[in-house]
Amino acid sequence: MGLGGGRVRFNVGGQVFDTTTTTLANAGRDSMLGALLDSSWNLAPTISGGGGGGGGGGVAEYFIDRNPACFAVLLDLLRTGSLHVPPQLPEKLLYREALYYGLLDHVRAARWGAFDGDRLLLAASVPGRAPGDGTAIRAAPDGGCCVAHGGAVHVYNWMLDERRPVSLDHSQVNDVAYLDEGTLLIAARERLGKYDGGLAVFSAVSGDLHHRFRVVHDRQAKSFTAGALTFDQDSNIFACCKGRFNEYGIGVWDRASGEQADFFYEPPGCALGDADKLQWLDATNALMVATLFPKTDNCFIGLLDFRQKNVVWSWSDAGTAASLDDKRVLHAIAMEDERSVCVINQYDDLGFLDFRSNAGGVRWSSRSKLMNRKVPGEESCYPKLSTHGGQLFSSMNDSISVFSGPECVLTSTLRRSNGGAICDFSIGGDRLFALHNEENVFDVWETPPPPII
Amino acid sequence: MSSQKKRSSRIEPFRHRVETDPNFFEKAWRKLEDAIGEIYNHNASGLSFEELYRTAYNMVLHKHGPKLYDKLTENMKGHLQEMRTSIEAAQGGLFLEELQRKWDDHNKALQMIRDILMYMDRTFIPTNKKTGVFDLGLELWRDTIVRSAKIHGRLLDTLLDLIHRERMGEVINRSLMRSTTKMLMDLGSSVYQDDFERPFLEVSASFYSGESQRFIECCACGEYLKKAQQRLDEEAERVSQYMDAKTDEKITAVVVKEMLANHMQRLILMDNSGLVNMLVEDRFEDLTRMYSLFQRVHDGHSTIKSVMTSHVKETGRNMVTDPERLKDPVDFVQKLLNEKDKYDSIVTTSFSNDKSFQNALNSSFEYFINLNNRCPEFISLYVDDKLRKGMKEANEEAVETVLDKVMMLFRYLQEKDLFEKYYKQHLAKRLLSGKAASDDSERSMLVKLKTECGYQFTSKLEGMFTDLKTSQDTTQGFYAASSDLGDAPTISVQILTTGSWPTQPCSPCSLPPEILGVSEMFRGYYLGTHNGRRLTWQTNMGTADIKAVFGNGSKHELNVSTYQMCVLMLFNLVDCLTYRDIEQTTAIPAVDLKRCLQSLALVKGKNVLRKEPMSRDISDNDNFYVNDKFTSKLFKVKIGTVATQKESEPEKMETRQRVEEDRKPQIEAAIVRIMKSRRVLDHNSIVTEVTKQLQPRFMPNPVVIKKRIESLIEREFLERDKNDRKLYLYLA
Repeated sequence: MGLGGGRVRFNVGGQVFDTTTTTLANAGRDSMLGALLDSSWNLAPTISGGGGGGGGGGVAEYFIDRNPACFAVLLDLLRTGSLHVPPQLPEKLLYREALYYGLLDHVRAARWGAFDGDRLLLAASVPGRAPGDGTAIRAAPDGGCCVAHGGAVHVYNWMLDERRPVSLDHSQVNDVAYLDEGTLLIAARERLGKYDGGLAVFSAVSGDLHHRFRVVHDRQAKSFTAGALTFDQDSNIFACCKGRFNEYGIGVWDRASGEQADFFYEPPGCALGDADKLQWLDATNALMVATLFPKTDNCFIGLLDFRQKNVVWSWSDAGTAASLDDKRVLHAIAMEDERSVCVINQYDDLGFLDFRSNAGGVRWSSRSKLMNRKVPGEESCYPKLSTHGGQLFSSMNDSISVFSGPECVLTSTLRRSNGGAICDFSIGGDRLFALHNEENVFDVWETPPPPII
Repeated sequence: MSSQKKRSSRIEPFRHRVETDPNFFEKAWRKLEDAIGEIYNHNASGLSFEELYRTAYNMVLHKHGPKLYDKLTENMKGHLQEMRTSIEAAQGGLFLEELQRKWDDHNKALQMIRDILMYMDRTFIPTNKKTGVFDLGLELWRDTIVRSAKIHGRLLDTLLDLIHRERMGEVINRSLMRSTTKMLMDLGSSVYQDDFERPFLEVSASFYSGESQRFIECCACGEYLKKAQQRLDEEAERVSQYMDAKTDEKITAVVVKEMLANHMQRLILMDNSGLVNMLVEDRFEDLTRMYSLFQRVHDGHSTIKSVMTSHVKETGRNMVTDPERLKDPVDFVQKLLNEKDKYDSIVTTSFSNDKSFQNALNSSFEYFINLNNRCPEFISLYVDDKLRKGMKEANEEAVETVLDKVMMLFRYLQEKDLFEKYYKQHLAKRLLSGKAASDDSERSMLVKLKTECGYQFTSKLEGMFTDLKTSQDTTQGFYAASSDLGDAPTISVQILTTGSWPTQPCSPCSLPPEILGVSEMFRGYYLGTHNGRRLTWQTNMGTADIKAVFGNGSKHELNVSTYQMCVLMLFNLVDCLTYRDIEQTTAIPAVDLKRCLQSLALVKGKNVLRKEPMSRDISDNDNFYVNDKFTSKLFKVKIGTVATQKESEPEKMETRQRVEEDRKPQIEAAIVRIMKSRRVLDHNSIVTEVTKQLQPRFMPNPVVIKKRIESLIEREFLERDKNDRKLYLYLA
């Protein structure tokens, strides 16, 4: 069929392409091109009318009724492993063609590089359709994302096409998490007397409700408001829960069976049911819970051990913060080495708390000299923290700061000129998503593929 | 963080594409349907993949995914039903072949159908949580064919029947079996397990249950095990040929349970061919097989071990308590060694040198060897025998091996001190009579004992060697120092340190004047060089070489003991002496004298004296003459002493008493050592600790320990606690 010597000729939408079987082998058997060349479809090499359509002059060629410009790009992708999209070629068109040939995964892999906080470029700004301010943005493991605002979650795939929005009885969404790229976990508020809200799993692809988690107190199923969410590597899902009758605490469910596995009732002095942030610490085998200003007047950060059912470490600023101008912990994140927790205040100062000692307060490291600090105004958002690959990220107003190394040195600042304050950001699928408060838009930051040389 | 009030979300209306051709789906599906038909008919060469792929793509793109999926399911089911009819029609042996052929066809077709519908597989199916095209094809095959009413049972029966026929020795088409089970595995491990593996294991269990019943009725144990091994090998081979590797473990478990575990006791204890019989007849091959087979059975090895242990103990007990055997100590020990060798080689070759078997063997030997309290003596005698005759043995290496083996037996002894006692006696005899064949062997034995029991155990034995060495030097020194000896007989004096040697206090006999003179000179020399020492002559232990000229003119050199020398020297002066005369003149103890005269007068060929009357026993009035008719082919005649190697009953009692006596200070020392470090201890703990400390040498009797404690209390080393009478306190 081919031109001999492993050469193959395609006629795509009238344009002829010559290539080799080795180049095409990069597409894999599970692609349209792989199947096309497979022996089961090429039983008799002499057929002129069937097979791939006959060409003139005895040279057989495969005819494909598709866009030649896109085919050229995809063929180059197979040849070189890198993607170069001509400016006049719409990306969506390319994606569609790639899907036709079964090469979408190849395109996805070549589209952007491995995440590096210091090499991020703004790849896209997607205007949202949110009716009000966003609550949260979450990155999916495959590069997609979702934005929660009000009673709905808008879901985007990695091509930033919007899928069907997801809602849990249209209740106010408090938190959302990707269990995997196809599964969304949504925590929502319970409305009085309606037995709605709570915690549920949805398909991120179709938006269908898969399972709704229940909370049982004294062998009686209760409706509840679910707050912050997290999950561990095994199969447990954790969520802050507030019930009607002071059933506050952290609920635990088994991901596989969907059944409630445990419930950690709120001990006195530890506000667990209202927490802003849950984080599972794998090495420590404990759950970090942070309940912060302004949800409560006093900040509380604790580590819960579910085997012993006790609080193994805790910190609180009760009694230290008197006036509004004092430094308040507004967000917290456990560092990746699980030795300390990083916190941030309203002046954008980073502070650290050591998990290994129970005494000692926050070690603040003032950044005021480095940063052109603005006095927090009315329109600003509360800062957020995140860690990824040994780097620490913090959002403040309209920018995101990147800190690297063990000393957390400021290495990059991500800022878009007209975005407005950032109310939330998330890293995943080798991308950083930042949700802006004012203009209802989210930015996508990517690391470009490695340089050619 | 700050969230505003929820507003109703606005969702963009979903716009469907306008269908241009209302019959688009039907037309497109017909195209695909025809193509699938061609594929199943092996006539795919005329098809254009690109066109079919594009058609399917368009159908999915135009939201016909669900309809396409349903149609596909229906269509494939139709094709499979056709196949089913043809499979069902296949007769007898062709059934599997037909099934296989259709399965291959279906697989091939499925691959191509999936190629066509790849786009649907990627987009529509994951979004809608449907089964992928390929898996759908497998599921349909499973439900339409493998689990259909007419095929399901028939397939299983065919497979099981073929396996049964193979077990009975027929040759079957293994590749067909392999591809059929492969098909079941491809359909999912649960299909393989439910539709084949489980029934297969059940049928196998009943097959082997029946077969083992038949075998055990008519086969001897060894033969049965051989068959079981063969069956196990066959099954393993069968699995490797045409089943899932995971089945191996399961079918092996079935065979082991039915053929081995269920009959284990009966097999091991089988009369005339069971384990005991194999051990007795040294059937290494059978033993190896038994060991390796029962390794798979829970408790298998422990059962073998316990049967072996009780057999070894039983035969061992018979051996050591048989009075017949006790008559010849050397043979007795040799038998023990042989027994040990036998079982050692069984454990090494057949039981893969299993540590637990070695331990079981050791404890059995230890058990029965200590049943007879004469074993220490006998073992020492055996060593004595070997070391005396050392030169006769092929070489020193052989002696070395024997000694190593003896050490094995020695390790089993609980009363090692008793052995030491005897060994000392025997060694003394060997050394003094110059019968120690090889100094190297003697020393090597000492080193072995030393490594086994420590420095203390052998220090006295080593002292004996040192004594001999110094004696030699002293004798040389004596002759060098004294030149005026004239023609006095040459003497060689062994100076034995008191305590190192097993000496009995005995009154020295009166030595002939020639000897007496030179020995007194020696005494003078020795005491002159060594201050503050005392010399006592041990005349009962020496030897002498004397030249004799007999009446018939024959000259001989006689090698005799000191006592015998004394007797013979008397005949230099007179021709005839009565027993009483001899006794009075020599002052040799009566028992020894009688023994000595017996060996001089009554041993045939060595009778240098003549006795009247000629009787075996010696009475006070017997007369002795020089036997002038004495002849011997040899110039040197060695006249032995009629002596029993083995101890006589009273001697035995005496040795035992001495041993008991020696143990007392050792036990006391141990008690004091323990109490010194512990200060306060109760009675039982002391007994345990003492036993632990002394075990390497002997097993102390608790009653004796108690007596020693009481004695120590009397001597105010210890006292009882005033409040708790069970506690002892150490008094510094």
